[in-house]
Amino acid sequence: MSDLRIIDIEKRYRTAEPKGGASSFMLRPVRLTIREGEFFSLLGPSGCGKTTLLKMVAGLLEADGGEVWVGDENLTDVPPESRKFAMVFQQSLLFPHKTIEDNVAFGLKMQKVGKKQRLKAAADMLEHVGLSGFGSRYPDELSGGQQQRVALARALVANPRVLLMDEPFSALDPGLREEMRELLSRIQKEFRVTVLFVTHDRDEAFALSDRIAVMGEGQLRQVGTARQLYERPETTAVAAFLGLKNILSGTVNNGRFTSSDKTLETAVNGELADGDYFLVIRPESIRAAEGDRPGQVSIKGTVQEMTYGRGMYSLKVKAGSQLLECAFTTFQAEKTAVGEPIELLVDMKEAWFVKE
Amino acid sequence: MKKHPRLLSLFLFLGLFIFVIVPFIPLILSSLSFGWRWPDVFPQAWSLRAWEYVVNDGRTWQAVGISLWIALVVTSVNILLAVPAANALVRYRVRGRWLFEAIIFAPIIIPPFISVMGIHLSFLRFGLTETVLGVVLAHIAPTLPYLFRAVMISYQTLSVDWEDQARMLGAGAVPRFFHVVLPHLLPGILAGASLSVLISLSQYLITFIIGAGQVVTLPILLFPFISGGDPSVASAYSLLYAAIAIAALAGMDAALKRYYQTNRASQQEKGENA
Amino acid sequence: MWQKTKPYLLLLPAAATIILLFFGGIFDGLLKSFGYFPAIGETGFSVAAYDRLLSSSSFWESMALTLRVAALSSLLSAIIGAFIAVALFFLNDSIERTSPKPWHRLFQLPLTIPHLVAGYIMVLLFMQSGFLSRLLAAMGWIDEITDFPVLVNDPFGWGIIFAYAWKEAPFVTLMLYPVLSRIHGSWREVSRVFGAGHWQFIREIVVPVMMPAWAIATFIVFVFTFSAFEVPYLLGVTYPSVLPVYSYQLYTSGTLSDRPEALAVNVILAAITILLGLVAYYFSKRWNVLKGWG
Repeated sequence: MSDLRIIDIEKRYRTAEPKGGASSFMLRPVRLTIREGEFFSLLGPSGCGKTTLLKMVAGLLEADGGEVWVGDENLTDVPPESRKFAMVFQQSLLFPHKTIEDNVAFGLKMQKVGKKQRLKAAADMLEHVGLSGFGSRYPDELSGGQQQRVALARALVANPRVLLMDEPFSALDPGLREEMRELLSRIQKEFRVTVLFVTHDRDEAFALSDRIAVMGEGQLRQVGTARQLYERPETTAVAAFLGLKNILSGTVNNGRFTSSDKTLETAVNGELADGDYFLVIRPESIRAAEGDRPGQVSIKGTVQEMTYGRGMYSLKVKAGSQLLECAFTTFQAEKTAVGEPIELLVDMKEAWFVKE
Repeated sequence: MKKHPRLLSLFLFLGLFIFVIVPFIPLILSSLSFGWRWPDVFPQAWSLRAWEYVVNDGRTWQAVGISLWIALVVTSVNILLAVPAANALVRYRVRGRWLFEAIIFAPIIIPPFISVMGIHLSFLRFGLTETVLGVVLAHIAPTLPYLFRAVMISYQTLSVDWEDQARMLGAGAVPRFFHVVLPHLLPGILAGASLSVLISLSQYLITFIIGAGQVVTLPILLFPFISGGDPSVASAYSLLYAAIAIAALAGMDAALKRYYQTNRASQQEKGENA
Repeated sequence: MWQKTKPYLLLLPAAATIILLFFGGIFDGLLKSFGYFPAIGETGFSVAAYDRLLSSSSFWESMALTLRVAALSSLLSAIIGAFIAVALFFLNDSIERTSPKPWHRLFQLPLTIPHLVAGYIMVLLFMQSGFLSRLLAAMGWIDEITDFPVLVNDPFGWGIIFAYAWKEAPFVTLMLYPVLSRIHGSWREVSRVFGAGHWQFIREIVVPVMMPAWAIATFIVFVFTFSAFEVPYLLGVTYPSVLPVYSYQLYTSGTLSDRPEALAVNVILAAITILLGLVAYYFSKRWNVLKGWG
């Protein structure tokens, strides 16, 4: 197995103070194992250290500690050009003075593959990205999306051990972005290439990844599948970054949770030690009340805002000091209006407690 | 509304034309004249005598050759010096960068003959006076800053990402330079090289001091004629000298254009085949 | 370690070359100007050369001439250069930029002409029996050669000034034109809407936009003409001569012992140009005129 192992890689700021306070880390030590053939994403806001981590894995940035392994080969001191990785950047970075086929064949040329052979490989790869026949053109004749496809073909042609991608679609139009996602997903499965993908776009990471690492403030916050992260976030920070806004602070006492503004009080499933908690409620697990049902807790509030999007209504309901976001079907939403009082039911099986 | 700007344009164009072109007329007339007495506006007799003299004199072509050779060597050395230096100043955090910039740009401001008069005796001691090598060494300081500046501007427009991308595709330092950096720098290098050649071609004093009359470049050959020699021959030499300077520039310019056009042409050719 | 020293190693060849070949020469000259001249057995330091120089009237006359010629040359270049720039601007504006390139090539022509040739062109144009004099005679305005004023090899330096004006005006234009072309046609339309005519447009928009680049360009021409040799050597008179020529005369005419004086002139010249260069650099940075000049 040639898994990519990142062992305690870290990066400090240049102007680190001798004592090394908490702020002296650009990236706190990271330990990750990415399985061969896995699509792994680093997800986080800008400045969270995800690109720093990627560039250290690539070798373009020198780490201040830690090691990078592929299989049983230690690559920490191997220069980037000899790691047999490939990388796609935010800009396509096609060499403007070379034709498309020469661009795609560049990696093979560096490996001293014969001209005929490498041009053949380039043509094949261009076909895979849907650009056969474009080989003799120059980069400036292609659209942004096409250029990025060429960049992808160029990265894949030399059979890299790991494909690193640094927000490769963020410069493209939203429609094109989705198209590129599908293409990438298909090609990744076809070539079974290990991908380490950096993005700040939650939907992009969710759509593409086998597993995701959520990063923030220079450290790894949580690693898991999209569903694990969304339904079982370990911290409010992860929940908030994934777009979960209904986070109620409160305390658990004798198996009962009381929110700090007293709008919600409920029995807790399973065993939770007494103490302060946050209750995370996904918008999908809130419904309008239609008579009491067991296992559900009701909250009274007032509808403040209703917006329609993609077959669902999104409601903002003021309950106590809390503004709850709820996803309603059209059918449910038509029964209420902005300014009206409403009684909400929360499915506690779907609710989730976190400590911090 | 339309008529007025057109008339104005005509006047403006005429003014430019007179300012730039008319001064060449007496030079051309003089080179073709056979005795041109005042107050005749045009010579009474025409003759190619001066041109025959210039073209048939072996010293002329020797001087042209030496001038171009010196300019070429100086410019090549400048390229070798300027590219790494520009790389360092643009790509790295250099302590005292202002000092390095001040050192390299200083010959633009301080006239080079000041340095050459000072160093003259040292050159004499090392046997560098009266040699082409000595003249080449003297021409480096006044020309290097212009080339350096052009390369630096080129480097500034080349993002590090390009080199990183090439690295990730397996390119080591040498292929990276030839496949990525050099093609990007080439237009800048050529622009700077034109300036370097032009400035080297027009040096009179420092060539005269170091060459001591033994290294005969075009300006050295020209000077005795224009400071009181035969006006026709002086004019012919002047025109030849100017033509060589312009031709050197135009040649560089054409090389630059061709560099871009071969890209276009080969691509169109391939496009038609495909 | 390698990463730390690498940029300095890359800089070393260029910097060392300039230090050795350029600053070495200046330093050499500086030592000799203070009388340290081992070749003729002088190893002491003295300011005798400066003493003699600063008390000689020919030095001060030379200085006055140099300042006058440089000031008038740069002023004339500035006026003509600005005129060409504005003219090109209007020409391009009204000709709908079908092919602006040939114009630009044309007005740059004097820039590519070597200084000695430019000097000789001025000789043929402005000497007493020159082309201009012939034209005036043909029109009947003058009757004798001597009716035409002495404009070449004249003590005032007119020939030098004309040569520089012709050669450096296109340089001023070259510095101004990019600034001017930032004034888009739309600005012009906006000013039309507010009722500005041609001259108002020039006064209210063109001149203020051009001003900083114009001042810097003029200053650069001044520094250059202050220290250039070829043109005054060809078009000037033996006495008084501009400082570079004066230095050269001292350097070549006398014995080895006259050289300290020549080198003292050079040191003074270098000091002045460095000072002027720093002033120009300061203002260009401040006004952001010379992007990329360092």
